[in-house]
Amino acid sequence: MGLKPATNPDVEAATIELSIDGKSVTAKSGVSLYDVISSTGKIIPAMCYHYTFDPFGSCGMCLVMQEGKKAPVRSCTAKAAAGMIIKTEGDELFQARKKAVEKHLSVHPLDCPVCDADGHCELQDMAFRHGVTNLANAKQKFIPEDTRSPVLDFNMNRCIACAECINVCKDVLMIDALQFMKKGGFNQVVPKGDFALSCEFCGDCLAVCPVGAITNKFSKYLYKPWQMKKTTTTCNYCGDGCQMYLETKDAEVVRVTSPLSWKNKWGDRADTAKGHGGLCVRGRFGFEYIDSAARLKQPLLRKGNQLVETPWLETMHQIVDRFSEIRRKHGPDAIAGLITARCTNEELYLFQKLMRTGFQTNQFDSSARYGHLNFVHASRHALGIGRSPNDWEDLTKAKAVILIGSNITETNPLTAVRIKEAIRVYKAQVVVIDSAVTNMAKLASHPVLITPGTEGLVIDGLVKAALELDLIDETSVKKHPLAFEALKAAVAHVSLEQVASQTGMSVASLKDTVAIFAEAPRSIILCAEGIVRRPDGYQNVLKLIDLAWITGKWDQPGCGVNTVTEEPNEQGAVDMGAAPEFLPGQALFSDQTARDRFAKAWDATLPAANSGADLVEILNRCRSGQIRALYVIGENPLATLPASMEVRAALDRLELLVVQDPFLTETARMAHAVLPACTSAEKDGTFTNLEGRVLRVREAIDPIGESLPDWHIMTALANALDCQWGYESSNDIQSEIMKLLPGYYNLGQPRKVVPSVDHYLSTDYTKDVGSRYRASAPSDSKSQRPFALILGQVLYHSGKLSTNAPGLITIAPNTGRLRMNPQDMERLAVGEGATVRLTSDRGSMQLAAQPDQSVAPQTCFFPEHFNEPPVKDLMSVQVDPTTGVPTFKQTRVTIEKA
Amino acid sequence: MSAPSLIKQVLQAALFYEIWDAMKVTFKHMFHKPITFQYPREQRTLPDTHRGALALLRYDDHQERCVGCDLCEAACPSRCIKVISLEDPERPLQRFASEFYIDITKCVFCGYCVEACPVNALAMTKMYEFSTHDKRTLLFDKKRLYEIGERHLDDAKKYLYAHNQEKNVEESREYRYYFPQSVLKPTQPPPKHLG
Repeated sequence: MGLKPATNPDVEAATIELSIDGKSVTAKSGVSLYDVISSTGKIIPAMCYHYTFDPFGSCGMCLVMQEGKKAPVRSCTAKAAAGMIIKTEGDELFQARKKAVEKHLSVHPLDCPVCDADGHCELQDMAFRHGVTNLANAKQKFIPEDTRSPVLDFNMNRCIACAECINVCKDVLMIDALQFMKKGGFNQVVPKGDFALSCEFCGDCLAVCPVGAITNKFSKYLYKPWQMKKTTTTCNYCGDGCQMYLETKDAEVVRVTSPLSWKNKWGDRADTAKGHGGLCVRGRFGFEYIDSAARLKQPLLRKGNQLVETPWLETMHQIVDRFSEIRRKHGPDAIAGLITARCTNEELYLFQKLMRTGFQTNQFDSSARYGHLNFVHASRHALGIGRSPNDWEDLTKAKAVILIGSNITETNPLTAVRIKEAIRVYKAQVVVIDSAVTNMAKLASHPVLITPGTEGLVIDGLVKAALELDLIDETSVKKHPLAFEALKAAVAHVSLEQVASQTGMSVASLKDTVAIFAEAPRSIILCAEGIVRRPDGYQNVLKLIDLAWITGKWDQPGCGVNTVTEEPNEQGAVDMGAAPEFLPGQALFSDQTARDRFAKAWDATLPAANSGADLVEILNRCRSGQIRALYVIGENPLATLPASMEVRAALDRLELLVVQDPFLTETARMAHAVLPACTSAEKDGTFTNLEGRVLRVREAIDPIGESLPDWHIMTALANALDCQWGYESSNDIQSEIMKLLPGYYNLGQPRKVVPSVDHYLSTDYTKDVGSRYRASAPSDSKSQRPFALILGQVLYHSGKLSTNAPGLITIAPNTGRLRMNPQDMERLAVGEGATVRLTSDRGSMQLAAQPDQSVAPQTCFFPEHFNEPPVKDLMSVQVDPTTGVPTFKQTRVTIEKA
Repeated sequence: MSAPSLIKQVLQAALFYEIWDAMKVTFKHMFHKPITFQYPREQRTLPDTHRGALALLRYDDHQERCVGCDLCEAACPSRCIKVISLEDPERPLQRFASEFYIDITKCVFCGYCVEACPVNALAMTKMYEFSTHDKRTLLFDKKRLYEIGERHLDDAKKYLYAHNQEKNVEESREYRYYFPQSVLKPTQPPPKHLG
């Protein structure tokens, strides 16, 4: 590292004293002089400086006078030393800085009026502040604009060669997609190798560019910075919960900016442990779905064979009449509901309250069921906490990270940046165990490629290796000797050699991993879709907790077993009780004290404690005709679940299907009534992110067309069903939640949780643990069907929502192609774009193939966001017996040349 | 009453002096050049600096001058201007106003927008007759503004010269032509892989 010492939790830098403008200042040794000055509150202009990376020293603005030196020195690249006497103001310095501005301006085109950065440009500000009005020897560069990238335009006439874009890309994001190149007599920023930009498109280079050299293609020339209303809100693409500014002009969303910006360049490097303020491609460029033409603007009611636009009043009357009729005829359990975890906490709370008190049924579920509930149940069962115990800061400052079954750069890009910072600044050892060559595997110290579907076996191996190497934490284990003996007995039959041969992870590697994990002072396990969205997800999380327990990494500060969430509010959905087994606050629905408390607060009787149905059960009951009416908010089971779930048949049998969604989804097309809902940009509320932080969502624009926020529609529906709800804004709902779950909002900070294994280990542990480590026999199908087909997320998309954002579709269109390893393609003699026949137990289809280096041999990949061709229908579904989570993201297939 | 004043009174009464005295003003004005003029049959000559209706101008080759920079919108104290700009799909980097509105009913004719314009696309003309049966026609759109500009091109140019916005010499126009200059005059060949 350069001048800035990473504030390491393990080492404390020495303190020095120096004088700045006659005042004595104490600072950490080795820090940049610029940082010391800015920590006193003095702001010296600097155009190439940003606190997130090392000083570069190209702009020549941060000049200060140092006693003993004749010429001014650049404070950013100077190291603060004891006894320095520094002067930061004075006419001489002003003139020197003015000269630097003139130098930049003399080769800068004066096209401010048409520049997108006009009014938001550091060079403009500096020229104004230093009174630069006359430029002798000004010349233009006449460099043609580079418009090859689908996202960003590079206008190198305006570049001042501050290298902020290059530094942020290389140093903070570790993507390294930009470089300087001498071209046409000028030093220019070009994409690596001067090809078209092809990177993660996070746009952080755009955010830090102090001039208008890098411009956003999706909003180029559409705005001037001062014309826009800036709303601070939370991104609704993934569970990272990044804060972003939604900039709107009248009723359209013009662009999205991040807290990371050249305007926000002063800070302590250590602050970035909580997040560097940037965004990913989805957050920054995926905003166009909000005011998309495809948005529903009017309620639709089925008349005959068609959905006809109908006024709200008529639609609501129809819906309420039919719901009431079905409830009267067939009882409350003929009604069920599904809600997406893209709704706010308030709406999720209101949904479960509507289902339980309005419709009097416990048959409803949220999209947290697709995986996150596996983790929640396991963690709650074992440790008593139903969420990830560690926050971003813990992750950044970890010394060892085991990333198992998680392509985190693709699913949660900003959490991935935390791990990148752990690698880069805090020198963490990262073990990446995955069945694909992920981006993180390329950066990690210990990348491990395993056979698909053997994550569970790997964990068996890790536990066994910990026992074999005696990496046991005595204090943890001593308290529960019986449980420890049971665990030992359970893994007795596991042989590392056998695990190694089945998983492809060598014995040495297994032992290394465990040693790294157990010996580091702060170790974190992060498991995601490869664990929680696969068969045995619940058991595998419990096994990881076993590993953390025996190595003593379960209750130490900065240690724990974590997961990431795919949708923004999956954690909130669980916390708000939008699952049949939970009441708000993750109290069990069958818990009598909690039931009494909520029944009293809601002034209603709750459905019977043993009633209720989760997602899979709801669909089963729809199919059997037991459920006759389904209320779907934002969910799209028809496009999500494989054909073998027979969702279409289930929905066809319904007497009433009401879909509430911003878009006309596949499920909505089958509905009897479709209610236009708002996107998160048009409503207030909160999201709970994967750390457990509750983050505000704010209304940036008025609802489009006649769409309404979900809470508004639900309140109207409840009142028509004789609930006396008086919510007039989401704040009213929030204050009710605050009363019922004191401390939940906690000012946007993750609530501290204290894990405890005592209850878990002293009750049924000895009985359950035996079955957990049963060696899953290598499936016979492997030999018959040599390839593993994996459905997964890609960086540029999130669920089906992002496919409505034209910008993201431009970046990553649906190619309709199967991604395969180039070696496999060669072996099968399949060229790029050639058609292959893909056959699974569920069926067969033909589609084109495309080589992808990140796909491991013997596997193939298709993005889960697209159903054209419907690859998902090849999947078979397994339902977890404990948590009811349907898993369908992986199956075995044969591939032949067609 | 004295005798001479009595005689004077009688004389004046006999000769209708007071009527003549009053008519003096009338007769004087009969041979005077009138100050009022017969608007609308007669039109007033206006000075070049006159602040009348706003117009959008084109260059001599009929290229639109306006680059859609929104600075007029920012300068307008009565917020009567609205510009919607885009990138010209045929000429990369060229920004232009796809829509341009001036609500002339709100305009206070201060001329700030003309001062703010970096390419002198806006100018004021000597047109001041806005009366209409339909108030909606007073929301001038881009087409209307260019029409006014074409009809009153000379006045608009005179306005710019009179306010020292533009000099009536060839070089001054040259400087503002095709803004920004870097668009159409690349002095270096494109990189190899692009060519």
